[in-house]
Amino acid sequence: MPASFIIPTYILQSIIVNGDKRQQAMAWATLTSSEQFRGERKILTVLAPLASTATGTKRRTVYDARHGYSLPGRLVRGERDRKSKDVAVNEAYDGCGATFDFYFRVFGRRSIDARGFRLDSTVHYGMNYDNAFWNGRQMVYGDGDGEIFRRFTVALDVIGHELTHGVTQCEADLDYRDQPGALNESFSDVFGSLVKQYKRRQSVEEADWLIGKGLFMPGIKAKGIRSLKEPGTAYDDPLLGKDPQPGHMRDYVRTSDDNGGVHINSGIPNRAFYGLASRLRGHAWEKAGQIWYRALCEKLHTHSTFADALNMTARAAGELYGLNSLEQKATREAWAEVGL
Amino acid sequence: MRILFERTGGFAGLKLKAALDEETLPSAQARRLRKLLEESHFFDLPLRLEALTARPDRFQYRLTVENDNCIHTVQASEDAVPPEMRPLLDWLTATARQQK
Repeated sequence: MPASFIIPTYILQSIIVNGDKRQQAMAWATLTSSEQFRGERKILTVLAPLASTATGTKRRTVYDARHGYSLPGRLVRGERDRKSKDVAVNEAYDGCGATFDFYFRVFGRRSIDARGFRLDSTVHYGMNYDNAFWNGRQMVYGDGDGEIFRRFTVALDVIGHELTHGVTQCEADLDYRDQPGALNESFSDVFGSLVKQYKRRQSVEEADWLIGKGLFMPGIKAKGIRSLKEPGTAYDDPLLGKDPQPGHMRDYVRTSDDNGGVHINSGIPNRAFYGLASRLRGHAWEKAGQIWYRALCEKLHTHSTFADALNMTARAAGELYGLNSLEQKATREAWAEVGL
Repeated sequence: MRILFERTGGFAGLKLKAALDEETLPSAQARRLRKLLEESHFFDLPLRLEALTARPDRFQYRLTVENDNCIHTVQASEDAVPPEMRPLLDWLTATARQQK
């Protein structure tokens, strides 16, 4: 057993407040490691506001594709470099920082691979490019077309979404099609939304549960791209059509488009997560987020289906909070509500 | 010459579609389209251009071109698109947006 386990919690807290950078990181990692985690979960909430200096090794680089398609492009900002005059560069940098901090402070995870992987982002990708993606190694953001979409760095949950694709790739590695693909998408939406909620310290009730709010140009009839709370209600606009996301298994969409509708059917597990968070109340990252994270990292695999996600999140809830605990029951109820 | 263009997937999961007929296009646009098709060697492209593993949030394209004597469909995932085909897809994307 590593020596760090015998350090009492109050000393770790003190290190986090008073130690040097390396010590702080060590203390956080210990405090948030799963063994110590179970009994000490409350500490995260108590300490979170104090912990602004306690980070792991955060390494961010931002590149500029200058409207081309070559990656990564020209280096424009590295860790601790001065602010750029380019707002997209700063948004990518700050959004990566907020996402890194979220994973580190809430789950004790250092970056995408839990080993301090450097976070590379490219902005100004392509011409009128209305998309953002994770290419297996880095995040990439377009500037939007200026008619429907604005630049994709504008929404913090989009940045959290993309980075989470990296985390998923390192953990469950859910195959990007059909139900495993929709789960992959859903984990990105869930943790993308939690990054935003954590940054704003919002409760379940205060959060908007929207993905991509602020991404649309003025005049487009849209709250965002997806709603975790009410899938299918994010937009209804003559140009865009209507949000096609189902919130229940009976409306599961079978299609060959989009790798089997991964961005459509993700509405079902998204709503299950919201259902759990709303039952447990408070901050969604404190319990619901822990259950989902544990399932992603320790239970699910490449071919996992929605039914597996139900079983594995319920198992994770049992391990974290006890068999037949309120949390485990709420997990099962939330999935039952979406038809599983 | 007639063209059917479809883009699905992407972060927003929105479908973009366009049907073009060379006869109804302004002549400058029709010339541009022909040039882009030639430069991308469209009729020599395989039916499917796919990366080994599907990548998150990338676009999927489906393009059918019907000429006097032949018809050809290419289905491509974005990260497998050859550089010569990019300008064609960019042009079709912009045209499809205008058609909306």
